[in-house]
Amino acid sequence: MHQPEPLAGEETVESGPSVESKNQEERITARRLRIAARNEAKKRQELGEDPQDKEDVQEETRKSQKEVEKSKKHMAKLQSDGLELVTNIQVAVDARESDRRTVLEEACRLRREKLENEAKSSQEKFEEITRKWTDAKLKQTPLDLRDALNSQQQLCEQILADKNKLISELQQELKASDDRFVKDLKRQAKDVDLLIERMEEQIASLRKSYREDLQQIENSFDEERKTLLTKHRKKWEHQSKDRSEKELKNMMQGISLLEEHEDLLQKLRVQRAEEYNIDKIRMDTEVQNLRKKLQDVKFNCHLNEEKLDYKYEVLKKREDENAILKSQLKRKIIRMQDALNNLKSKCANQEKQSKAEEQSLENENARIKQQYKDMQKKARHFAALDAERFEKFWLMSEDEVKALAHRVLETDRIIHEQQLGLAWVSPSLPFMERSGPIEPKTFNTASQVATDTQREDLVQESEGLEDIGSGVNRRTVKRILELLCDELGFLVESKLLMLVSHLEKNEQSLIKLDAIFSAIGIESEKDVYKMAEFLMNYKQHGRKQRELMEEEETTNNPPSDFIHQNDLLVALKDFTAQYCRPHDVQASQKSSVLKLDMRDEPEDAAYWESIVKVIPESKLRLWSALDTALNKYHTVLTERAELLVETQDVQQQNTELRQLLRLYTTSKASAVPEMQPARMKRFPM
Amino acid sequence: MSRRQSSQRTGSMRPVNAADARKMRSIIAEDPEWSLELVPLLTTLCLQYIIKHFEGKPILDELAANYKAYVLQRLPTSLPLTVTANLISDESFWKRCCEGRWAVCDISTYDNSWKRMFFERYLENIIEFFIPDSTDTKTVLDVVPLCRNYVKRLKVSQLLPPIKEVPRFDEDDRSDCASDTGSEGPTIDHFDFRILLDKLPNLEELSVVYGVKGCGMNFEWNLFEFTFRDCESLAKALNSCKTLQVFRIHRSKVDDEKCCMLVSQLLDHPSLHELDFSHNHIGDRGARAIGKLLNRSQLKSLVVCNNQIRGPGAQALAHALSKNTTLMSLNLRLNRIGDEGGQALAQALVKNNTLVNLHLGGNNMTEPTAVALSQALVENCTLKNLNLSNNRLGVDGGKVLEEGMSHNSSLVECDIRLTDVGQDSEYCIIQALRTNQSQASRKNQTQYDLSAKV
Repeated sequence: MHQPEPLAGEETVESGPSVESKNQEERITARRLRIAARNEAKKRQELGEDPQDKEDVQEETRKSQKEVEKSKKHMAKLQSDGLELVTNIQVAVDARESDRRTVLEEACRLRREKLENEAKSSQEKFEEITRKWTDAKLKQTPLDLRDALNSQQQLCEQILADKNKLISELQQELKASDDRFVKDLKRQAKDVDLLIERMEEQIASLRKSYREDLQQIENSFDEERKTLLTKHRKKWEHQSKDRSEKELKNMMQGISLLEEHEDLLQKLRVQRAEEYNIDKIRMDTEVQNLRKKLQDVKFNCHLNEEKLDYKYEVLKKREDENAILKSQLKRKIIRMQDALNNLKSKCANQEKQSKAEEQSLENENARIKQQYKDMQKKARHFAALDAERFEKFWLMSEDEVKALAHRVLETDRIIHEQQLGLAWVSPSLPFMERSGPIEPKTFNTASQVATDTQREDLVQESEGLEDIGSGVNRRTVKRILELLCDELGFLVESKLLMLVSHLEKNEQSLIKLDAIFSAIGIESEKDVYKMAEFLMNYKQHGRKQRELMEEEETTNNPPSDFIHQNDLLVALKDFTAQYCRPHDVQASQKSSVLKLDMRDEPEDAAYWESIVKVIPESKLRLWSALDTALNKYHTVLTERAELLVETQDVQQQNTELRQLLRLYTTSKASAVPEMQPARMKRFPM
Repeated sequence: MSRRQSSQRTGSMRPVNAADARKMRSIIAEDPEWSLELVPLLTTLCLQYIIKHFEGKPILDELAANYKAYVLQRLPTSLPLTVTANLISDESFWKRCCEGRWAVCDISTYDNSWKRMFFERYLENIIEFFIPDSTDTKTVLDVVPLCRNYVKRLKVSQLLPPIKEVPRFDEDDRSDCASDTGSEGPTIDHFDFRILLDKLPNLEELSVVYGVKGCGMNFEWNLFEFTFRDCESLAKALNSCKTLQVFRIHRSKVDDEKCCMLVSQLLDHPSLHELDFSHNHIGDRGARAIGKLLNRSQLKSLVVCNNQIRGPGAQALAHALSKNTTLMSLNLRLNRIGDEGGQALAQALVKNNTLVNLHLGGNNMTEPTAVALSQALVENCTLKNLNLSNNRLGVDGGKVLEEGMSHNSSLVECDIRLTDVGQDSEYCIIQALRTNQSQASRKNQTQYDLSAKV
C-alpha cells in the first residue's frame, strides 16, 4: 500500500539535492524538500486522492480479501446454521422438559387437592363414625346395637374402600410416570443419537466447506501472487533499465567533466608559471634591499658594541665603589647593633626600675588607701561627734530661742491685754512641741517601691487603676517591673539565681529586681517612676518610628500599650545614659559624705526663721506704733511730773506763804486768810 | 532409527552368515554394509545403563543435551512417579506416559502441557476411585507432593460412597444422613476435599459430581447422595483454597440448605470468578444466598441452569444484579422464574452495565416479561447475547420485543426459538441482529486495524 510513496520520495531525492551532500545548504534544502514531500503525501493519503494507492487497495480487495471475507461470511453462516440445527434439539428437549414440569406441577397440584379432599371427606366420615359410637352406647337393645354396629362396619368399609381406591389410583399414576420416565429415557437416548448424528454431519459439512474455501482462498492468493510477481518483475526490469541508463548517462557526464577539468588544469598551470616569474623578479629586488639594510645594521651593531664596552668599564668601576661603600655600611651596621644592644640593656634597666617604682607606688597607694579608710573612719567618727554636738547645740539654742519666744509671746500678751485691751490669741507654734534637730526626710528606695508594687497588687489587684506619682499608674509600673524581671535576667548573678531558685515566685522576682536595679543604678522610688515614665515615653516615641516597619509584626503581637520586649534593652540603655550618670556621681558622693551633709540647709534656716517670725510683721509694726505712742505718753507724763513738782513747790510756797500770812494775820486781821484757801482749793482742780 | 534398522538387519543376517560358512568367508571381506558404526559406542552403552538403572540412580540433569534427549526418549513409562515427577520436565516423556495410560488425550485443554495433563488425570483417577474408609487417605496424600506444582484443574466426575456392610444401615443413612455422625456410621460419606485442596497451591478449577458413573443395573439412591456432612467438608475445603477461580458442582442434589452452606464459605473469596451449580435442586432460598454472594465476590460468570428457582429467587438475583459491577454472564436456563422473576431481571438490566450474556431459556415467561425486556433493551447497551427460547412470549410479546430491538444497537445474538412470537417479528428481530452484528464486526475490524498499525 505504502510502497509507491517511498519510491516517489527516492526519486525526488535523487533528482534534487542530496541529504548526504557535503554542502550544508544543500543538505538543508534537501531536508526541506523531503519534509514537504512527506506532508504532501500525507495530505494526499488523507484526501484519498492518490490514484495509485486507491487502485492498489481496490485490487487487493478485489482479489484475496474479498475471497477471505466471503468465505468468512459463508463459514459464519454455516456455523450459525449448524449450531442452530444442533441446538434445536436441545431447545426442543428443554421445551419438552419445561412442558413436563408444568404438567407435573399441575398433576401434583391436582393430586394434592384430591388428597386434601379425600382427607377431608374421610375425616368427616370418621367423625360420623365416632359420633355414632356414642349413639350406639345409648342403644339398649342388642338388636339395635347390632344394627348400629353393622352400619358402623359399613361406614368403615366405605372409608377403607375409598382409601384403597386412592392408593390404587396413585399406584397407577406411579406406574404411568415410570412408563413415562422410561419413554423419556428412550427419547432422550434418541435425541442424543440425533444430536451426535447432526454434530457429525455438521463437522463433516463444515470440514468440507472449510476445505473448499481454503482451496479457493489459496487459489486466489496464488493468482494474486502471480499477478503481483509479474507486476513487480516488470517494475523491477523497468527500474533496472532506468538505472543502467542513468548510470550510462552519469558516466558520460563524468567523462565530459573530466575533460573540462583537464583543460582547466592546463590553463591554471600556465597562469601559475607567469605568476612565478613575476614573483621571482620582485623577490630579487627585495633581497638586494635587504642586503643594504643588513650592512647598516652591522654598522649600528659595531657602534653599539663600543658603547657597551665603555659602559661596562664604567659599571665595573662603580661596582668597586659599591663594594667599598658596602663594607663601610656593614661596619656602620655593626656599630648600630652595638648601640642597639646598649639601648636594650638600658631599657631593661629602666623597666626594672619602673617596676620597682610601680611596686613602691602600689604600696604607697595601698597605704594611702588605708589612710583614706582611716580618714573616713575618723571622719565618720567626727561626723558622729559633730552630729552629737550639733544636736546638743541645737537643743541648747532651741531652748534659748524657745525661752526668748516665750518671753516675746508673754510680752505680746501683756501688751495686748494691758496696753491695748485686746483679747490675745496665742499663735500656733509647732516648733514648741518638738525638740531636737530635724530628721532628714528619708526617700523610699527603689526596691521598696518594687516590694510595694508587688505587695499592692497581691492585696488590691482588683482596685483598678490608681494614679501614683507623675502620671504613671501602678499597674504599668508593675508590668514594666515584670518585664524587667523577665528580660534582664542576665544582669542578675548566676549565684544569686541559684540561691533564689527555691524561693516563691514573688520573692524571686523581688530579689531579681533588686539585683537589676542595683546593676542599672536605680535607687530611689523617684527613679523608678522616672524610669517607668521614660519607658512609656520611649515606647510612644519609638512606636512612631517603628510603626512603618513593624506593622506586620505588631499585628501578630497582642495590641498592648506596653513597650516591646525587644525595645526594652535599648530603652534602658538610653535611660541609663540620660539619667543615671549624674545620679551615679551623686550617689558616690552621698555614700562617702555623712549624714550631716545631707542636712537641708534652707530647711534649717526656715526652721529658725519660723521661730524668728513668731511675732509677725504686723505685730511688730503695731509694736513700733505703740512704742512711739508710749514714748509720747511718757513725755507727757514726765511733763506732768515736772508740773507736779512745780505744783508741790508752789503749794509749799503757798503753805509757807500762808504761814507767813497767818503770821501776818495773827498779826494783822483775820479776814484776809479766809480769802487765800479759796484760791488754793481751786488749784489742784 | 537407521542404526536400529541396520542392527536388526545385521542381527538377522548374522545367523545366516554363521550357518553358511562359504558365504561368511566371502561376505565378511567384502560386505558393503559393514562398518565400524555397528559396534555400539561406549557413550551409548553408558546411557543404556543409566536408563536401565534410572529408578535406583536417576542421572539426568548432569548429562549433555543430546544424551539427555536420548535418555528421555528411551526411559520406560513405568518408572515410579516419585522418581520422575519432579525430575523430568520433558514433554515427550509425559506424552508417552499419557498415551500409554489413556486412549483419548486432548492436549489443547491442558495448556498444551502433557505433564499437567498426566498429573491432573492421575489425581482425578485416584479421587474418583477413592472409597471412604476402605481406601487409605495416604494414597492421595502421597501423590500430593509429586503433583502439587502441576495440577491446575480437577474434574472429578464421580465420587464413590462408602461400602455398605448391612443394607439396614443404608436405610438409616438415607433417613437421616445429615445428622448422623455416630460411631457405627462411616467417618465420611465421600472423599473429603479438605485434606487435598489446601495442599495444591496452583489449583484454579474444580469440578465435582457427587454421584457414581455407569452404575447400570446396580442403581441405588444412596449412590447419589450428597450429605450435609459432605457439603460442610467441601465448603471448608473451598474456603481454604484461595487460588480457586472456577468451581462447578453438577448433578449433586444441592438443595437450598447446602447451597447456603457452600455460599457462606465462598463469601469474599479472593479469586473465584466462575461458579456453576447446574442440574441441582436449588430453590428460592439458595438463589437468595447466591444473590448475596454476587456482590461479595468477583464473580464473572454464574450458571444455575436446571434448578428450581422461582420468582422470589429470581427477584433476589435481580436485586443483586442491579448493584453488581463484575458479573458478565448469567445462565438461568430451565428454572421456573416466571414473569415475576423475568420482569425483575429486566428492570435490573436497566441499571446494570456489565452483564454481557444472559440465558433465560425455559423459564415459563410470557408477554409481560417481553414488555419489560424490550424496555431494558432500549436502555441497556452492554448486553450482547440473550436467550429467550422456550418461553411463551406470544405474538404481542414478539411485537414488543421487535420494537425494543429496533432501538438497540448492542445485542448480537437473541435466541427466540419456540417462543410463539410470530414469523414477522422473528424476521425483524433477526434483521436487527444482523445489522448489529455487522456493526460490531466492523468495529472489531477497525480496532484490529488500529492495533495492527500501532
